[in-house]
Amino acid sequence: MDSKHIEKLLEKYWNCDTSLEEEKELREFFRGPVPENMNDVAAMFRYFDSQQKQQLTSPDFDATLKKKIKQHRPEGKVVKLVYFYSRIAAGLLVVVAATYFVRQEVRKAYPPEIADTYSDPKLALEETKKALLMISKGFNKAQKEAGKIKVFNEAEEKIQGKVLDEVKKTDGQI
Amino acid sequence: MNLEVFENRVLPVKNKLFRFAFRLLGSSEEAKDVVQEVLIKVWNGREQMADVQNMEAWCMRITKNLSLDRLRSRQRRATDPIEEGVEIHHETLTPHERTEIHENMQRINEMIAALPEKQRQVIHLRDVEGYSYNEICEILELDMNQVKVNLFRARNAVREKFVKMNAYGL
Repeated sequence: MDSKHIEKLLEKYWNCDTSLEEEKELREFFRGPVPENMNDVAAMFRYFDSQQKQQLTSPDFDATLKKKIKQHRPEGKVVKLVYFYSRIAAGLLVVVAATYFVRQEVRKAYPPEIADTYSDPKLALEETKKALLMISKGFNKAQKEAGKIKVFNEAEEKIQGKVLDEVKKTDGQI
Repeated sequence: MNLEVFENRVLPVKNKLFRFAFRLLGSSEEAKDVVQEVLIKVWNGREQMADVQNMEAWCMRITKNLSLDRLRSRQRRATDPIEEGVEIHHETLTPHERTEIHENMQRINEMIAALPEKQRQVIHLRDVEGYSYNEICEILELDMNQVKVNLFRARNAVREKFVKMNAYGL
C-alpha cells in the first residue's frame, strides 16, 4: 500500500476526520510489516486489534446466567398465584361465615313451632276446636258491630221519611 | 422477549460489554460481575425494552452506568496491567521481538489507562469497538461535540506520548 496514502490517512486520524472505513483500512495496514518510523503507531493499532479480540473467558458464565434468569422467572409467578387464590379463599370464607351467623340469628329469633299434633288425633281435634272457637268468637263480635250499623240505617230512614212528609205538607200549602 | 431471542440477540454482546467494563474497572472479575448484572437487568426489564431501537448501545450504556457506580464506590483508577487477550501470536517472531511487542502493548495500555475517564471511554468505543459517533453519543449520553472533543484529546494525548518517546529515545 502507498505509504503517502497511509500518512495522509494517519493525519486525518489524529484530527478525528477519518470515517470508520478509513480507520479499518489503517488497522489492516498496520497488521502487516511497517516502516521503522511507524512502529509506535503500528503498536497502537495492533493494541486496538488485540483488545477487540479479548473475550469473556469463563466457561460457566452462560450457564450461571441462565440459571439466575430461570430462578427469577417462576418465583414471581408463584407469589402472584398464591395471592390470587388467597383472595378468592378469603372472599369465600367471609360469605360462609356470614351465612352461618345469620342462620343462627334467624333460628334464635323464630324458635321452632310447637310440636305438630298430627300424630295425636285427640289433640288435633282440641287444637282445631280452639281455632274454630276463636274464629267464631271473632265472627260474633263482628255481627254485633254490624247490628249497630243496622240501627243507624233505620234511624236514617226514619229521619228521611219525616223530612219527606214535611216537604209534601209544605208543597200542599203552597 | 423470550429466552431464545435473549440468547440470540443479547447474549452475544457479552464480550463487548465485558471489554468496556474491563476498560473502566481494570479488573476482569469485577467486569464479569458487571456483565452478569447488566444481562440480568436486561432480562428483567425486557417488557419495557420493546421500544428500544439499538439494543446493543442500550446494553453498553447500562454497562457504563453500572461500572461507574462500582468505580465510584471503589475510588480507584484502573491502571492494573493487562490481564489476558493482548498477546499477539506471531510464529515468525523471535522471543526478543515478542517481548518487545508485549512491552509496547503494555505501554499503550498504560497510556490509555492514564487518560481521563471520558476520553478513555470514547477512545475505547471508537478505536477498539469501532462504533459510529452517533452510537457513542447514545452510549455515553453525550452530544456529538463532546464526543469528538474527547476523542481528539485522547488520540492526541497518545500521539504526544509517541513524539516524546521518540525525542528522548525512551
